[in-house]
Parts: sequence; C-alpha cells; structure tokens
Amino acid sequence: MLLTAAAGLLTLAACSNNPYPSADEDRKILYTSFQEAPRTLDPAVAYTTSSSVITGNVFDTLLEYHYRKRPYELIPGLARQVPEGRANADGTVNYRFELRAGVEFHEDPCFPPNAALGGRRTRHVTSADIAFQLMRIADPAINSPVRSNFSQVVGFAAFSKRLAEKRKLDPSFDGRPADAQYAEVGGIAGIRTPERNTLEIVLTHADPKILYWFAMPFTTPLPKETVAYYDGNQGRARLADHPIGTGPFILTIYEKQFRMILDRNPHWWGLADSKAPAVVLPVEGDPEDVSSGTIDKAYLGRPAPFLSRVEFRREREGIPRFNKFLQGYYDYGGIIKESFDAVIQNDRLSPLMRARGMRLDKSVEPSIFYIGFNMDDPTVGRAGGERSRKLRQAMSLVIDVKQYLELFLNGRGVPAQSLLPPGLYGYNRDYRNPFRKVDIDKARGLLKEAGYAGGIDPATGQPLRLTFDTGNTTTAGKLQYQFFINAWRQLGLDVELAATNYNQFQDKVRKGSYQIFTWGWIADYPDPENFLFLLQGAKARSNGNGPNTANFKDPDYDRLYDAMKNRTNDAERGRIIAEMLKILERRRPWIELYHREAYELSHGWLKNAKPTGLFSTPFKYLDVDATARAKSRLAWNQPVVWPAYVLLILAFAAIAPGIVTFYRERQ
Amino acid sequence: MLAYLVRRISYGALTVLGVLFLLFILFFAITNPDDIARKALGEKAGPDVIAQWKTNHGYDRPLLFNNRTGVSGLAHLTDTLLFEHYRRMLTFDFGRSDADDAPIAQRILEGAGPSLSLTVPLFVLGLIVGVTLALFVAFFRETYIDWIVLVGCMLAMSVAILLYIIGGQYLIGMQLKWFPISGYDPNPAVVARFLALPVLVGVVSGFGADTRFYRTVFVEETGKDYVRTARAKGCGEIRVMVRHVLRNALIPILTNIVMAIPFLFTGALLLESFFGIPGLGSLTVEAIQGNDFSTLRTMVYIGALAFIIGQILTDISYTVADPRIRLS
Repeated sequence: MLLTAAAGLLTLAACSNNPYPSADEDRKILYTSFQEAPRTLDPAVAYTTSSSVITGNVFDTLLEYHYRKRPYELIPGLARQVPEGRANADGTVNYRFELRAGVEFHEDPCFPPNAALGGRRTRHVTSADIAFQLMRIADPAINSPVRSNFSQVVGFAAFSKRLAEKRKLDPSFDGRPADAQYAEVGGIAGIRTPERNTLEIVLTHADPKILYWFAMPFTTPLPKETVAYYDGNQGRARLADHPIGTGPFILTIYEKQFRMILDRNPHWWGLADSKAPAVVLPVEGDPEDVSSGTIDKAYLGRPAPFLSRVEFRREREGIPRFNKFLQGYYDYGGIIKESFDAVIQNDRLSPLMRARGMRLDKSVEPSIFYIGFNMDDPTVGRAGGERSRKLRQAMSLVIDVKQYLELFLNGRGVPAQSLLPPGLYGYNRDYRNPFRKVDIDKARGLLKEAGYAGGIDPATGQPLRLTFDTGNTTTAGKLQYQFFINAWRQLGLDVELAATNYNQFQDKVRKGSYQIFTWGWIADYPDPENFLFLLQGAKARSNGNGPNTANFKDPDYDRLYDAMKNRTNDAERGRIIAEMLKILERRRPWIELYHREAYELSHGWLKNAKPTGLFSTPFKYLDVDATARAKSRLAWNQPVVWPAYVLLILAFAAIAPGIVTFYRERQ
Repeated sequence: MLAYLVRRISYGALTVLGVLFLLFILFFAITNPDDIARKALGEKAGPDVIAQWKTNHGYDRPLLFNNRTGVSGLAHLTDTLLFEHYRRMLTFDFGRSDADDAPIAQRILEGAGPSLSLTVPLFVLGLIVGVTLALFVAFFRETYIDWIVLVGCMLAMSVAILLYIIGGQYLIGMQLKWFPISGYDPNPAVVARFLALPVLVGVVSGFGADTRFYRTVFVEETGKDYVRTARAKGCGEIRVMVRHVLRNALIPILTNIVMAIPFLFTGALLLESFFGIPGLGSLTVEAIQGNDFSTLRTMVYIGALAFIIGQILTDISYTVADPRIRLS
C-alpha cells in the first residue's frame, strides 16, 4: 500500500496541467477555444459565429473589411479593386470584379496532380469558381440562408426555378455533377465570366449593398472538384466538413467534437504579393487601437500572416475555459459572469489581471435589442391613434436601460438612442432621443393626455391591463422582464408577463396575438439599411412572416426607406436617415434598449487582436510572443505536491490507531 | 430458463415500442416540424428555406395518415412520420442530425470510444474503491473508523456532482496544477493525463453511495451463521471477509454492476461536458443545447434500450452468481 502511494506521489511529481505537447511550447501557435461545433463549413450555407472563425480564414473573398477602420470600409481581397456600379441603358447595373492572377486553391486529393504547379494537387482560381459558388447559393437543394439576398441579380430566381423544375421532371438529372446541372439549365443570366479572371454581376437596379456580400465567405471561389469529391460516400468526408479555399490558413484537423487546427497555407497568394491591401496590416486606421496597445506599432505595414498555426480546443463550459485562460493555456477569451467582478473593477481590468499583463478590449457589436409594440393591437397599436402613441411614449420614458445593463449584463452594453449602433453610417453620437431618458413626471403627463391618468383605464376603472409576451420561461429571463414590468408599474400600468415556451410564443407572433415583446437584431452588413428595414411596412410580420415584428407601417417612413436603401453614403442619405429616426422617435413602435458590447480579454503576448464585431477575426493579422508565453506558463503552473503527502499522512494517522486497537481487542 | 428469457425479451420489446411511441409524441406531435426547422436554421431563415429544410430532413410528411394526392394503398400509412420513425429506430437507421446533417450512427460510433475511455476506468475504480472501503468498514464495524467513513459517505452523498466537478477543477487543476483542467486527446499515450481528473472526480462523487450500499450488504452477511462457522473453524478475518462474505454478497453487488454496464456506453453527461471529453454524454448535452432533435431522440432511445438490456442481464446474472436461483 505504501509502495502504491509512493508510486502515486512520484507520478504526481511528474504531472503537469499543460494540455499541449511540450514540443509546441516555442511555436507561433495561437491557442483558443470554441464552445459550439460548427454546423457546417459549406460556404454557401455556413452562417454562424462558430463556423465563421474557420470559413473566414480558410476562404478568401473578393473584398474584405479594413481591419482597423471604423465605420467599416471595404478593401480589395481577391479582387484587384472594389468595383463601382456601372448603369446600363436598360436600367440594369453592372459590377465588374477583376481577380488577382495566380491564386491557388489549397492542395487537396480532390484535384489531379498539376504539372504546371510542380505536380501539386491544386489549380489556379478563375472567375468561373465564383460563378459556380453563386449558382450554388441559388440552388434550392443547397438551401442557402442568403439566397433571397441575391434576388436582385438578373436571372437569379429564374435559375433556381429552372433547376427545381428540371429536377422534378427528370429524376436522373440530380445525379449529375452540380456544375453540369447548372450548365444544362443555362446558368444565371446576371453572372458572367467574360474572361478567365473577370467576373461581372448584373443587377436589376443599383444596389451598392451587394458588395458587402462579396466580403463574406458565401461568395468565395469554390472548386467544382471539391463539391464532386467530398460527397460523404465511400469514406470520403462531406463538403460540410472539408472546406477547400484559397485563404491564408488550411483546416488540417477537423475533429469538431474536441479540436480544430488551422495551419498556415504555404502557397497563399499573399506571400507572393506582400504589398496587397488584404495582406499588409494597415498603417492607417483607428489611432486609438495603437495607443491602447491593441495593435502593436511594430507590425504596422508588415505583410501577414504571422502565425504558423491556430489551434481550437472545445470547451463546452465557461468555467474551465476561463480557468485555462487564466493559466495561460488560451491566448484570449471572453469573461464569464461568475468571474466578472474579479476581472473587471470600475469598468477596467482589476489590478490582479493587470499584474498578469492582460489586456481588455471592448467593442460595440452592430446590434440592437429592443422592446416592441404590436402596432396591429388596438390598445398599444396604430388603431388607438394619438392615445396609443402617447401611451408608448410614456412607457418608453420609464425604462432605465443603464440600470438594466448593470443588473443583468454586468454593464456590457451601450444604451441605445435609436436603432442604429455606433460605427454605422447615420449614427449620430450627439443625438439624444427625448423618449429614451428616464422622466417619470413627463411619462405621467403623457399618460394623462392619453386618457390613462394614473395608469387607470377609464373603460374599466382599473389599472390599464397590458400583456408582455415572451418565449423565455427561465427564471433569469423572467427576472429581466419583471424589471420592465416594475418600471411600468410606477405609472400605474398593470402589465402581465405571458411567458410561454418558444414555440408557443412563435405561434402567437404568427397569429398576431401579442401586445408587447422584446427582441434583438445583429447586422449582416454594416449599412443602416440593415437596421432600418426592420420597420419597413412591406416587411411587417402580419404581411407574411417578415422581420418587422412590430407590424409598423408608416407611409412617410416607407417612402424615405425606398429613397435611402440603395443610395451611397452621401449627405442626402444622412439627411433621410435622420428624418426616418425622427419618425421612429415620435411614433415609438420600439423602445430601443441597448447595443451589445463585447469584452475581450487577452494576454500581453498576443499581438494585434482587435475586436472585429461584424466579421470574424482574420487570424492572419494576429501574432504571439511564444517565448514570453512559455515563460509565463511555467511561472504560473508549477505543481503543488505537498498536499498529497499531507493527505497520505492524515489518512494513515486516522486509520492506524483504529487498526491497532481492533487487533488488540480481538486478542 | 429459456421460456423466462423469451418472455422477458418480449416484455422488453413491448417496452421499446412504448418508448418509441412516447418519443414520437414528444418529438413530432408536441414539437412542430416547423419549429424544429426554425431552430436549426435560425430566426433569419425565410419560409422557402424552412420548407426546403423540412423536405431535406423528411419532416414534410403527415404525422399519422398520408392523404395527399398521388398516395395510394399502404403508402397512406407508411409514408408518414409515425411509420418512418418506427422504421428508422427499429432498424437502427438513425438518419442525419438536425443540426449539422452528419450521420447520427457515425457520430455515436465516434463518441463511444471517448465515453468508454472515461466510464470504464471510472466504473472499475469506483467499484474497487467502493467494495474495498465497504469491506474495510464492515471489517472494522462499530469502531470509530466505521463511524468516520459513514459520516464521510453521508457528506459525499449530500454534495451535488457539479460542485465536485467545479471544485475538482479549481482545486486540483487550478490550484494544485496536477492535471489539465479539461481537454482530451485520442492519442493513447497521453489520454490518461486528461482522464485523470474526471475519473478522480467521478470516483470521489460516487464513492459515498456505493460504499454505504455495499457496507450494508457486507454487515448483513457478517451476522449470518456461515460466517460464525467459518470463524469457528479458524478462518482468519481477512479470509472470512474476502472468501466468504464477499462471495455471498455478490447478488446485490451484481445487480448494481450489471445495471450500470449498458450505461457505460451512453457516457457521463456532466463529466464529459465539463471536462471536454467528446463522448456520447457530450453529444446528448450538445443535442439538448443545440435543439438537435433527431440526435436527442436517438440518444433517449439508446438510453431506454440500455436500461431494458441491463434489466434482462441482471436477471440472468443472478443464476450465475447463485446456482440455487432458477428463473421460471
């Protein structure tokens, strides 16, 4: 027994809590974690944060977002320049992309050996690869979530329809390779490849927003060979698990239940064109990210990538993930609520964290969270006219968002004055919404003017009864809604919480049987239109499941929306947006609550990790000081062995007298 | 014996059919396929995308009776969600995940290894610790050692497993730095480093109940005549405990063991989730969190099968442990 214990102690002495091989200690590997496995890595379908960390680094796009500039700005990626729309005589508009020459796909067995490229299994990208991917988005069988966003491409919907009909009529058609099927139904009229490296997109009308979609992996060049080869048959992976792109990193290990590894692409086009905008860490941009230390000045103007590998380990739970970050085994991560007060004090890093050389970066997400009123409802909606409007205004005036954020989100949010978040065109930091401050007296006055003096409904003589509908039945969720209900109670209103499960809530929304609700929106692209459309009359939920859940319909707003939606960001567009916000300010279909704020913690050895908000972190710009990391890890993680000896001695001391006594008594 | 087994397996088969019907009500009748699609695709998905998803996943069929045009004969009944649900489950054709379209059977096969690498050592060590400690306290019954261990067991049983996990990670991984806080590596050379902490936590969290149970069994046995006879014949105390008491106490121990064996394959939900072990427990938790209904109903079905198989095996094991028992 003693020998076993001694062996155990010796083993313990050799133990370490380092989850990585010691041979990797000095390599430029970025270690991070993921909570949820990507559902798919097919670039036509992948649309979640968990997948975009991979697709955003494996797939290159024609355009990219400038890493350091806010408001967001597009720069050329695989394209040589950001195209401008060119109007045609028939009213259609052309966007012409010129692709870089000599861009190669990642090496992969799906390609035959290429003699022109030293026998490596790869080939050069052509504009046809992007056209193919755009046709995949249109393909109804792929079921891309962004199919409707390309409906302004000439012939896009017609192609989808022809493809579906052909498959229905001829079952054998579906068995042919995807590119052959697309060719047979005639392709998409508005997607042309006049030259090997030229792609033309023809839109039915001018729409500069289309360019944002070319900065997302949906429109990446995808080789038809990959689609044909990775079909999930005969032991081959599925395309959803095997992305082949042209990006700076290659997905070399994809065991999505516990780890994913991205290795540097040794044949990335950027290595040969080290001055291209999408290769160099930009010199120009937000000066604060350099002064705060988020971006290391020494890296400005240097060509990427700097890392050799990015390794993701799966952490389903926040506590172990955060503890491993504190031990130095993850280079960056978020803050868990359990440790928030220990990490953040007075809105900055605690002295303990600062002493460890950590850095805190905050960024406001392009999002809006709000309370909405169902404008089809007779009490709170448009049928009530001025009376209902004043009721909504009064209810807006008593919601203290700052307190809400402190109580429920550790202050991680920016109180919203309008639906537009900071960083977007049309956002005015000096704008103060007169109904988004707390003013109980004014609210009571408005309520009186509405005919509900003291919150009493004259029809019943009782407090006005309203319903707050939610699909969240958790205790934490109910507490949050109770916060709003308590605020309205100050006005004498009797708001009842109707918490049902999510399905029942959805059902209520579909049927229009709801009064007050809360919801949120995270932008797809950095254009004000992507927020303002949420209240467009044509997109009302009651008109057919549109995103305008408030069912807000205002002819002036809709007219201004039409005038604004396809304009470039000129002064007139700014004026129109301000006018639209004024309408929302007065009519109050929403009580704008907050724009979510992300807090990102990183160790001092991690370089250039600027929060991106809208797009996934481009790992090509990040770097680690592996020597400093190894030194810190060693200092922070020395095993403490003495408690094992103490335990052993205590156990022996507790048992030995008993054994002795027992045998003595038996004798 | 054979007649008993046939009857027992028939009861089991009926129970399986009942479980499948309950699963059908839960996952198809109560949960609308539209809601499943919406949860899989997210709030921003349009109606056409939702409809296509339902078609791709076979959720576009009627529930019980197909009265659509072009459907005739038996297809009225077979081209329905109910029939398809039974067919798939009974033939172990679990289909694809609602979340990521991956074949569920493949995911289960991939998860079984990591689950077993945790649950088997946990089970074996837990058994060794539980039985040894129980024999030890039974041997020293009514001494202060017995009292201390019993109080310890009660305390151990009163603490939730989540506290053991978080406490174990904090104390052993974070403060003492003996083992990695979480993680996994399929490489057999290093996997033990990652499994050490979850196994330790699992054994500590489970020893209280096991020790108390086994101790009760052993103490009851030590009062019997054959023990007194063995002692009268001059057997040493250790020989009495190990050769006589342990052997005769095997039936309740076997019940515990055999019932647990099938569940080794279904993994340990919380341990796997908190320690990042990519097993079947994690798969179940992920299916719950990710609204992956097809995976979840498969895991519930497998759990039910494991329970039924465990019960049948327990009955059979009685006859092995005690030849006097006849199943009829």
